[in-house]
Amino acid sequence: MEDLDRDFLSDLPQSIIETILTKLPIRDAVRTSILSNRWRYKWASMTHLVFDDRSATQFNDRMVVEDRIVNFITRFLFLHDGPIHKFSLSSSFLQSSPDIDQWLLFISRKDVKELILELGEGEWFRAPSCVFSCKNLMRLELVRCELDPPPNFKGFLCLKYLNLQQVLIPPDDIECLISSCPLLESLTLSYFDSLELTVRAPNLKYLILEGEFKDLCLANTPLLIAISVAMYMTDDIAEHFEQSSSCNFDKFLGGVPELERLIGHIYFTKYLSIGNGQRRSPITYHHLKFIELYQVSFDDVKEVLVVLQLIVNSPNLKALQISGSSNTSAATQAPDLQFWDEKFSTDCMLRQLKTVKLTDVSGVPHEMKFIKFLLEHSPSLEEMSITPSLYVTEGRLNMLIDLVCFRRASPQASIVFIHEPA
Amino acid sequence: MIEADSEIIKPEILKAYVWLQTSDGSIQQVEQEVAMFCPLICREIQSGMGSSKNYPISLPSRVNPPMLSLILDYCRFHQVPGRSNKERKSFDEKFVRMDTKRLCELTSAADSLQLKPLVDLTSRALARVIEGKSPEEIREIFHLPDDLTEEEKLEPIKNTMDDPRIRLLNRLYARKRKELKERERLKNTEVEEDRADERSVDDLLSFINGSNEGGPFDTYGFADSKANRASKSKKKNRKRKDHHKAAPSNCTSTSNSTTASSDAVYMNKKESNELDSMRSNPTCHGNLSPNPCNGTKLHNIEDNTIPPAEDEFDDCDLDDDIDPALKEKIDREVEDFARRLNSDWPERMQQILSLGQERRTLQLTANGNGSLRIFTSLDESRK
Repeated sequence: MEDLDRDFLSDLPQSIIETILTKLPIRDAVRTSILSNRWRYKWASMTHLVFDDRSATQFNDRMVVEDRIVNFITRFLFLHDGPIHKFSLSSSFLQSSPDIDQWLLFISRKDVKELILELGEGEWFRAPSCVFSCKNLMRLELVRCELDPPPNFKGFLCLKYLNLQQVLIPPDDIECLISSCPLLESLTLSYFDSLELTVRAPNLKYLILEGEFKDLCLANTPLLIAISVAMYMTDDIAEHFEQSSSCNFDKFLGGVPELERLIGHIYFTKYLSIGNGQRRSPITYHHLKFIELYQVSFDDVKEVLVVLQLIVNSPNLKALQISGSSNTSAATQAPDLQFWDEKFSTDCMLRQLKTVKLTDVSGVPHEMKFIKFLLEHSPSLEEMSITPSLYVTEGRLNMLIDLVCFRRASPQASIVFIHEPA
Repeated sequence: MIEADSEIIKPEILKAYVWLQTSDGSIQQVEQEVAMFCPLICREIQSGMGSSKNYPISLPSRVNPPMLSLILDYCRFHQVPGRSNKERKSFDEKFVRMDTKRLCELTSAADSLQLKPLVDLTSRALARVIEGKSPEEIREIFHLPDDLTEEEKLEPIKNTMDDPRIRLLNRLYARKRKELKERERLKNTEVEEDRADERSVDDLLSFINGSNEGGPFDTYGFADSKANRASKSKKKNRKRKDHHKAAPSNCTSTSNSTTASSDAVYMNKKESNELDSMRSNPTCHGNLSPNPCNGTKLHNIEDNTIPPAEDEFDDCDLDDDIDPALKEKIDREVEDFARRLNSDWPERMQQILSLGQERRTLQLTANGNGSLRIFTSLDESRK
């Protein structure tokens, strides 16, 4: 027997043991209770609890698995001792049930700081009111829930991170919720339907939006650093936009001077183009370094103008990624290419731009002019990669012919044309 | 941190060094930029320590020279700003490939230097070692003592199954294991008692045949004289006596059926080698049954000296959950067993008498329900 070697694991400080236990799947953490006397209750003072579908051995019968998970969690909480800082539950087997309400009530009394709930696809879970009484909540992530803040809810005063995905919440309440969390730094809203959103969050740094938005306005977000928007559009939303007179660009990007990274998907550029007069935006984005815009339709001159406006107002832009929207139908009228020669003279040089990646390039006139513009105005450009759209086959040769002609401001620029043999 | 560095750092040609002293007293010279990666060292440097050999920074006791060199390797790699995430990740993965003892030491050392990224890395590695392994494997890897009693191990921490039969079975197994442990323990203590209790077979037989009520009984008393003294107060010791129970006698089945069934359950769960030794019990029983007055005398004596049987089973709530069907089954088994024993009786008697020349230890125990149990420990059966 190796009695000479002392047990070297249990002598580690409690904080390390807790770290190790937290990195184990929670079932294994509980199993350490039968290792030795000292380990009997080390698991019971864990402060970060992460429950998922692995917490119960799998069976074919859903009901059995659900029972087992419920049993396990209930027993665990009953035997737990001490504060709980993080409670995370993601299970596709669990639906709305009174057990979950009880767990949340228990947790809310334990000074919880992080709460993550993601339940199954069935009946959506309705968050009990005890969730709103978690005073010290710093991080809240809810998936497939119904949230109904009580009328006297004053907000989560410590909340820094909010992520709501497929959450049913009355539209007024969501704006209230956001503005009543003064320390909010990161906001993620996904899969909301037809939401009119005005964000007022003085400390907000990161904003991620995905869904159908009828209206988006960043009213008070001076510290925003990164924005990522994936905007879906239904027909009636598009109609609504036609009729609106406000300038979306200003509404959305008018108050974010600290912006460093902008990512836009699907209809974002189109959204920005609505109501945008052909004028230079008053705001310069001194810190904007990365722009990624997807599904930009180069057939629509307004969208092109939005892209140009962004680029021209970002003197420190480092990397640019644009993906075109593969519009198979040819333009009905010859595009007005005048502005290319008039508007953008050589004084707006993009001195920091180093990499440009263009994908789904269809070679339409505006697109080629855009590439020409970039090459002429980026003295530090190192690499530009162009990937033609899959739908364009014959036009590729013309694209290349044009490309070869373009003057380059940067002597070290290399253009990579990514051509997959058919 | 780089900005602060440039203030302290001497001209670029010379690299700045700091002096670190480990727990064993040895002093090492380390590039400042590498050492600054550790928050603890960084603070010490900023408060002026470590700039010369005479004023080295004393590192916490958990940092010994081999651990320090590992930590410095880690710092040296990661403090270079130009490395990609991929590079760092692959370095980390290679870095933690060491035996678990060193991994624990490294975690401890990194924690004392407040080097959080390294603590996270090593903790994750340790978690990977633990994950998915059985308790025995984990105990072996980390040299953890296996000091939980069997009962504690079987205590359901999380509710595995609600089935009452499973719970009953668990309890029975728990008791069985406890018994074995007790037997083990007693084996060690009995080495001394052996000599005290040793008697020739003849003495014993004469006693059994009713010659002397008090004498041999008192001296024989119980397997463990200590238990005798303590029996009135301690239930635990009573349990110890129970381990030396033999098969129930006929009196048992007639006098007190419930306790008998409980005992029988005990019996049924005992291992077969015990049964072998029990077969010699009929020695006494056979003589008892045709001689009822002896039985009753013994019964009286036992009643005086031994607290009632109920105490024994107080802390085993065995009876609580046995459902009636199971109980019946057990009762039937007890009767079967008793019958078997009694049929073997004459032959066994002869056997034992003939073997009486050899030295053997006979222990006599009794329990409160009036049955006399003899546990003959034959050396063979003990193995």
